[in-house]
Amino acid sequence: MSDGSAMSAVLRLLAGRLAISLLVLAGVSVLIFAIARVIPGDPARIALGPNATPEQVEKLRGELRLDQPIWLQYGHFLSDLSRGELGTSLYTNRPVTRDIAQFLPATLELILAAGILMVCIGLPLGIIAAKNEGGFLDNLVRIVSLLGVSAPSFVWAVILMLLFAFFLPLFPIAGRIGTEFEIPHVTGFLFVDCLLARRLDAFADALWHIALPAFALALSGIGQAARLTRANMVETYKRPHIEMARSYGFPEWRIARKYAFRPSLIPSLTIIGLDFAAMLGNAFLVEAIFAWPGLSRYGVAVILRKDLNAIVGTVLIISAAFLIANLVVDLLIALINPRIRHSRDRA
Amino acid sequence: MLRLFHGLLACAILAISAFAASAERVLRLDEVAVGELDPAKASDYADSILMFNVYDTLVLPRQGGPGHTPHLAESWTGSGTEYTFTLRSDVKFQSGNAMTAEDVKFSFDRMVAVAQGLSFLFGNVESVDAVDPLTVRFNLSEPYAPFVSALVRLPIVDKQLVMANLGEGVGDMGDWGAAYLSQHGAGTGAYMVKSHNPQEETVMVKNDGYFLGVNEKAPDTVRLRYGLEAATVRTLIAQGEHDISSQWLPPEVKRALADDGNQLLTEGGTGSFYFKMNTMKEPLDDVHCRLAISNAFDYGSVLKLIAITDDISEGTAATGAITAGMFGAKPAEQSLSRDVEAAKAHLAQCSHDPSEFSVEISWIAEVPLEERLALLLQANLAEVGISSTIKKIPWAAFAGMVENPDNTPNISQIFVTAVTGDPDTLLYGMYHSSKAGTWQSPEHLNDAEVDTLLDAGRTGESDGERETAYSALNDRLLAIAPSIYGFDSQSVFVARPGISVPALSDPDMAFGLDTMGFAFRLMEIE
Repeated sequence: MSDGSAMSAVLRLLAGRLAISLLVLAGVSVLIFAIARVIPGDPARIALGPNATPEQVEKLRGELRLDQPIWLQYGHFLSDLSRGELGTSLYTNRPVTRDIAQFLPATLELILAAGILMVCIGLPLGIIAAKNEGGFLDNLVRIVSLLGVSAPSFVWAVILMLLFAFFLPLFPIAGRIGTEFEIPHVTGFLFVDCLLARRLDAFADALWHIALPAFALALSGIGQAARLTRANMVETYKRPHIEMARSYGFPEWRIARKYAFRPSLIPSLTIIGLDFAAMLGNAFLVEAIFAWPGLSRYGVAVILRKDLNAIVGTVLIISAAFLIANLVVDLLIALINPRIRHSRDRA
Repeated sequence: MLRLFHGLLACAILAISAFAASAERVLRLDEVAVGELDPAKASDYADSILMFNVYDTLVLPRQGGPGHTPHLAESWTGSGTEYTFTLRSDVKFQSGNAMTAEDVKFSFDRMVAVAQGLSFLFGNVESVDAVDPLTVRFNLSEPYAPFVSALVRLPIVDKQLVMANLGEGVGDMGDWGAAYLSQHGAGTGAYMVKSHNPQEETVMVKNDGYFLGVNEKAPDTVRLRYGLEAATVRTLIAQGEHDISSQWLPPEVKRALADDGNQLLTEGGTGSFYFKMNTMKEPLDDVHCRLAISNAFDYGSVLKLIAITDDISEGTAATGAITAGMFGAKPAEQSLSRDVEAAKAHLAQCSHDPSEFSVEISWIAEVPLEERLALLLQANLAEVGISSTIKKIPWAAFAGMVENPDNTPNISQIFVTAVTGDPDTLLYGMYHSSKAGTWQSPEHLNDAEVDTLLDAGRTGESDGERETAYSALNDRLLAIAPSIYGFDSQSVFVARPGISVPALSDPDMAFGLDTMGFAFRLMEIE
């Protein structure tokens, strides 16, 4: 098969997945719109407090269109969405789109950093363990990775805070950057804004601030990636093609990289992709502990206050992130694994 | 050699002095998210901290005693349905605009139009007239004795600035400047908003043009952080990176921080903790069943549960339905106590057989302390032969459930605070039949005598009349026991050494109004 036809197969895969993703997103919007409205409690009453008069409550219900049938409410929601609007949050009293635009970059930066740690630490650990199967390094990696997956992120967050901020005050534990830095808000992505402002000192400080939360969030994924990579590589090492490569006298590093690691990467990549997307929802407690002003924390807060517009907006963004992560993983796997490309091409 | 040493010493002292003189005094504190900057929407603690520092009001609660003192107003006259205020002529907004009666009228109109936050306090105000630039008149539809105290919740906004920043909305006034005021300050206050992220922090800086001047040792910059976890606050204070905690830290954490040498600040006298009994549902529709439960409750043990140190607690012994220090409150010597015999006697008179019912005790999922209190009550009830179950309910669900008596748990737990410091704002919302079925009033009480006394307290023309009405109300509420009056709540904050907050540490400087103690201009940082 030529490179061109392989690429067109990937593009067809992309188009198909995009269409399915849009359908899924539409389904999620219907579901979350309905679920948010059947949770007990009147959002207007909760927002206005116990002393609000019935007239005030009715006025707010009218503004939120809660006095209309649910299908009509959904129609208004779609109409607003087509204009890029998601209504006003009762939690912050600001447009939901503005809240998301303000809080999403912080979370994306955090999970990107965690994702990078997951790949850069988890995969090499898996490779080291597989290459030393049964040896000291293998056992060490297995113990470390087991610890990583055994405890949830927020437990690691507290442990890391205790170790590296309370007992050994090495890292900051609140916020995205030191208060002495004033970086103009351009993109909302602090690292990008620091670079745009040409403030390498601020960039370094932001890195210092993100270290603990990102590591706490990544630890479970690091363990999972290491275990999976190790298991797959150990299996692959037992395959005949590895024996054949060795008999041809290929260097061990080449065998490890090209013939053992690459086929083992596919299941690891799938899990890393899913972990990456799941972090968007799971980052809540890590964000709370490290006072990280992100979307996960916002999402939980709005659910607790039954802030309908904000709930729908946040869930849609997290769903979209899941779908995008899945899409990227599918594409990467298709690019790595010729069998997938070929099978789709044949189909 | 000695001369050189002296010279070096003098240089060092000069350098240190210069550094000390130029060092910025930064105050870092935290509160629960979210910080609402728009003063017309302010209702929670964080919102009020912002409001009382960025904005000013016509009057302020008197420090160290009852009553109010002029603030933006120079003086006032009136009673019944008309109050006239003479404004100070030397007050300027942070924008530089002069404050006039038009701004007061605009602030009132805006609060009513926005119809959120604490606007319900002004339901009796028919109109406000700007008589002349320095005279403003409030016209009430009926006498409302706590009117002056309600004015501590009417922050004055800069009309000119807001009108220049109206956003989209219905009618000529658009959004009444809501979008602008959710991000910017427009007050006369001692602190100006530098930046505001409702989920992260608000940064405020000292307003050097403040009409009363600001203490030189008051913080130059204040960083009000939102939603910090207890472990984070504990670590930040230990690192010297945080100055005052919120009141929401668990008692154990406060105790640990106090043991580390930090100080405990307190603010009380404006609210209480209640176990609310649903008077519309069996078996607590019977007054004897309710009295059995209120007598069975161990008022002494609850104080041990909320104690932080031997001297400081998150509450003091309750003396009745009204928080100590307010009109109608009973003296401290008459604190409530457990009486198991009386509980059993009332239970014997209850029309419902205790062997045939079980009461449901709910606690709010977001307030872990309430689980311990529920367990205490459950144990107390078991001792007198009442079985019970404990149910955890998220706040949003609870707020919806209580609208209907059938869905309301038998017993709910709530902290209630008088938002103006006046007992009317503590009691009317809880016990008047017209207000039944909110999270403040899951008792669903419908008692004509209580209604009459609440109205009398609201319209009494003199302090004496109000005292009489609220005393009688207190007796009536003790007799019919719609609630267990658990304890008078006291907010406790941890502050690192070197921070002086007289309004939260000296009773003679306390304001008797929640949050006023956080007037940054009155604080000092060493």
